[in-house]
Amino acid sequence: MIVTGLILGLLALFGAPLFAIIAASAMWAYYREDIDVSAIAIEFFSIAEMPVLLAIPLFTFAGYLLSESQAPSRLVRLTQALLGWMPGGLAIVSLAACAFFTAFTGASGVTIIALGAILFPALAQAGYGDKFNLGLVTSAGSLGLLFAPSLPLILYGIVAQVPIDSLFRAGILPGMLMLIMLAGYSLWVNRGTSQPLSQFSWQEVRGALRESVWELPLPVVVLGGIYSGYFAVSEAAAVTALYALIVEVFILREIPLKRVPDIMRESMLLVGGILVILGVSLASTNIMIDSGVPQRLLEWVSSFVTGQASFLILLLLFLLVLGAILDIFSALVLVVPLILPVALEYGIEPVHLGIVFLAAMQLGYLTPPVGLNLFIASYRFEKPITEVYAATFPFLVILLLSVVIITFWPALSLVFL
Amino acid sequence: MLIRKLARWGKAGEDAALVLLLGAMILLASSQIVMRNMFDSGFIWADESLRLMVLWLALAGSVAASRADKHISINVLSRFLPATGQLLARVVTNLFTTGVCGLLAYHSWRFVAESREYEDTLLGGQPAWWFQVVLPVAFALMCWRYLCFLLADSYRLVRRKPAPKQVPLP
Repeated sequence: MIVTGLILGLLALFGAPLFAIIAASAMWAYYREDIDVSAIAIEFFSIAEMPVLLAIPLFTFAGYLLSESQAPSRLVRLTQALLGWMPGGLAIVSLAACAFFTAFTGASGVTIIALGAILFPALAQAGYGDKFNLGLVTSAGSLGLLFAPSLPLILYGIVAQVPIDSLFRAGILPGMLMLIMLAGYSLWVNRGTSQPLSQFSWQEVRGALRESVWELPLPVVVLGGIYSGYFAVSEAAAVTALYALIVEVFILREIPLKRVPDIMRESMLLVGGILVILGVSLASTNIMIDSGVPQRLLEWVSSFVTGQASFLILLLLFLLVLGAILDIFSALVLVVPLILPVALEYGIEPVHLGIVFLAAMQLGYLTPPVGLNLFIASYRFEKPITEVYAATFPFLVILLLSVVIITFWPALSLVFL
Repeated sequence: MLIRKLARWGKAGEDAALVLLLGAMILLASSQIVMRNMFDSGFIWADESLRLMVLWLALAGSVAASRADKHISINVLSRFLPATGQLLARVVTNLFTTGVCGLLAYHSWRFVAESREYEDTLLGGQPAWWFQVVLPVAFALMCWRYLCFLLADSYRLVRRKPAPKQVPLP
């Protein structure tokens, strides 16, 4: 048992695909428990019994479409017109635009690629230091995970069987807290140098609004629809995908029709990668729950943790380590079913657990050695990875502080429920 | 020559499957909303077909991801290895993945055969195995892909060829 685990762990660390690792461990467990191994196919097939999953391919496709069009630069212009008058304006513009874009494109690293290319040179031109810019853009690329309709929030709702619209409401204040703390840090670092980008001008606001008139209905309809309960999440995803397709390809014609199949393919690679892990994890989770892993985990944890506060500390440490080695989607489907029953025993709300989980995993995007955003930024801006580590570090510390606040202040997440 | 041709056809097939499924999904899901709100009706089978399409799309995307070896992985150790060691690590992990996909294909085939025997149905009376058969097919295709990686990497390892570059795969 232990030997098998070690071998699988080593194979994973040497680059075997995660779905194969999880499938192997599930099949091995079935075999040991004398259950017919073809049960893994039954579990996998239950992907077809989860209506909300429909949202994942649709939102992902819409996000890829938007990031291939000129929508990112329109978003930056509009945010600049609205927020650029503040001191340290462009830093705040960058944070807000990235958060918004990540929420809509599902936190897959496309934000750095789509927005970073616009923001990075603009920040340098406005006189910010190179190191600061690199850190800012790299860490801003993971903001927005906690805002609707981000994919990790949806996936947590599916795995933990929590209503997704309560997760969407719960994420608002914690997400804002992260945004505000990073903005505050940016202002403080550049207190000597940063000047307002521009005077506030109604003319510029009007111009920016007119330019993005076709995309503006999207957040209004989607967020309004979801928060008011008019749309189910998967319906909002369908509307988003269809609308983005019509606007970017047929009305604005920024994406040639020829490109659409390629974009579909690109986006579905990611979806296939996530859902195949979900499918095999359904099997491995089931067998782990059947053989009492959560109970043993609870017994083990309660042997040295008594109160809720000390449990939260332990949880946070665990999630930070987890986030550093596992990507957010795999961590969600693998770990949430095991720790949710334990957390419930300690009186933690499932919704709050979800927000803590995602907030902590967000740091994983920025934690060396394997943080995804670090690599994307290093590749995209042609900087050595160690330089990206160093530039991102102060932002990582601020975000860590915000995660601690989110963890120990449940009301922040639960106030709108 | 044959390999290149197979590679082209294979990619065309994947693209067609992905585009058709995603396109149909967008249209069907949107028309459901219109039907529900304007006419207070909808296709009864729409929700179930949409859910099945998600499964197919997941598998098709997964097969497509295996073509470029783009599955989610951790891979922190092999970058510290010398070139030969990296190749060896790839041979071992590819062997493992080929085996796992083969087992998945075999066991899901047994699942489909059973469902056929018991005459399970979906979508109001259609044989369930028509829809389930994508499972063994997709895993078999992934098994084939990783077998190709395995053979190519082993060849390079034996011949001491340089680290692998992206090659067209059937």
